[in-house]
Amino acid sequence: MQKKKAVHTGIPGLDDILYGGVPPGAVVILEGEPGTGKTTFGMQFLVEGAIKHDEPGIYITFEELPEQIYDDMTSFGWDLRDLERQNKLRVICMEPDILLEQMLQPHGLFEQIVREIGCKRVVIDSISLFRMVGDEEHVRTNVYSIRNIMRKHSLTSFFIREYSEFEGMSMPFENYICDGIVRLSLKPLMDKYRKRTIEVLKMRGTRILEGEHTYKFIHNGVYIVPSLSMAEDKMLIREAEVLSTGIDSLDDLLAGGIPRGSVFMIDTNSKANYRYLLSSIYSQRIKDDDCTVTMMSGNTSLDTFADTIELFGVSLREAARKGKAFFIEHYRRAVESDLEKAIVRVDKVTNEEYAQVLNERLNPIFECEDLCDKRWFVYYDLNTIISERGKDFLLRYFAEEMSMWRSLGITIVVHCNFAEIGTETASFLERTCNGVIRTWVDGNYQYLQVTKSPSGRVSAPHIIANVAEKPFVQLI
Amino acid sequence: MVAESDVITLQMECTLFFENNPYAIETSSGLSKRLGRSQQVTEQALNRLAEMSILEKNGQGMRAIYRYKAPYIQTEVDLNAYD
Repeated sequence: MQKKKAVHTGIPGLDDILYGGVPPGAVVILEGEPGTGKTTFGMQFLVEGAIKHDEPGIYITFEELPEQIYDDMTSFGWDLRDLERQNKLRVICMEPDILLEQMLQPHGLFEQIVREIGCKRVVIDSISLFRMVGDEEHVRTNVYSIRNIMRKHSLTSFFIREYSEFEGMSMPFENYICDGIVRLSLKPLMDKYRKRTIEVLKMRGTRILEGEHTYKFIHNGVYIVPSLSMAEDKMLIREAEVLSTGIDSLDDLLAGGIPRGSVFMIDTNSKANYRYLLSSIYSQRIKDDDCTVTMMSGNTSLDTFADTIELFGVSLREAARKGKAFFIEHYRRAVESDLEKAIVRVDKVTNEEYAQVLNERLNPIFECEDLCDKRWFVYYDLNTIISERGKDFLLRYFAEEMSMWRSLGITIVVHCNFAEIGTETASFLERTCNGVIRTWVDGNYQYLQVTKSPSGRVSAPHIIANVAEKPFVQLI
Repeated sequence: MVAESDVITLQMECTLFFENNPYAIETSSGLSKRLGRSQQVTEQALNRLAEMSILEKNGQGMRAIYRYKAPYIQTEVDLNAYD
């Protein structure tokens, strides 16, 4: 069955948080303390429908006078009286019990107005006042009836609710019967300031970008900045090609994958198992017929590495034999004789000679006629560089080498343990990379978070769960 | 006994209220609270406005609701239409 098109809220950022908008016909509670802008949110939702989507709306206010709302909203450039003249909006004031009476009555005033303007969106300000007109049982029945009436007329609606009244009390019953809950809050910021935050606590029928997001009032209404949004690297993301990591859920966090020609860092703590994460990214490159260069780490031999890659259904040994996979080896470890030509041995190379030796060996390969039209992928183990060549060497060498390889369009994934190398070195490395994927163990779970990416999107922490089939991990 | 002058004053206030809030739907008790006037006088004023077809009245007694019947006003005339 085809999913119905989401209803655009008209509040910049909110549709992103709701992965497109509010599900059509949903009844959503919009709660917040006084001064959080509930009325503005509600009205912006109706103005969007009226002006951009030919979806007329009704704003029902119990306490505030419409004339006050007309005046207040002119500061955002919204001429509500004009929208009323065009039959695209009605700002109605009445008492809660009258609304209820008219809603329950066949052909009552509510139904008449809905038909009169072809209403699609409704805001009720506020359902807290229903608590004044009856005992708990009655209130529950009334709110339940109103929700059903909204559904019957396919009206996408926001029910405004004062938030503070429920603090410390049991869960309000509306939370169970409504389709969504959006909470607006005022939070302390840097001791002296306050920031406004919005959080979607529940929304049936759509995914949500979890967590608190900051919002501000600007000249044309409310503007939400979804959390974990950083500046985009336009130069990188305009490249159409992104390389899949082989893990769908990670590709989603990276807006498709790793952009070709970028440098990504995998930062792990000592307990975290990054083997399957790396192996999935790596094997995907071989699957896509890319050429690879790998810096072998002290605790993983070529055999172990190749065996792990084989679990993903590709043969690293085969790629090496065909001259499409090369290995930088700091340790004197034996390999199968026919793989020796793929090894760049640097165990006896001094720090001063290192860059030169590596370039003399690798540049002809990168530029070789048979392979020059191939895409190259480099995996670099910085823990090995630090342990074998020292931190100073890393700082001197890393940025220069990465920039040279990047200029050749090579995609690079680097592995490191930030906690071990110290804050200063870590922040230098982070600056040099286009993206950072962090994985760590905390308590009983291993987590993964994209903390930097060229798309500017930073993810929330996800739990890494094991799965029986390749890629053997998924993010929850 | 309600003084006639009070009812006339209330008629003015009610008309102004509905002019400024053309889609308000009110009972006499609700509007008397919004205007800060006694319900008895407000009800009389509202009934008179309903008799004059300025307001539309639905129902009877305390539950009767009143809404504005906005006069039809044409604000723009296309003179070319009469050529």
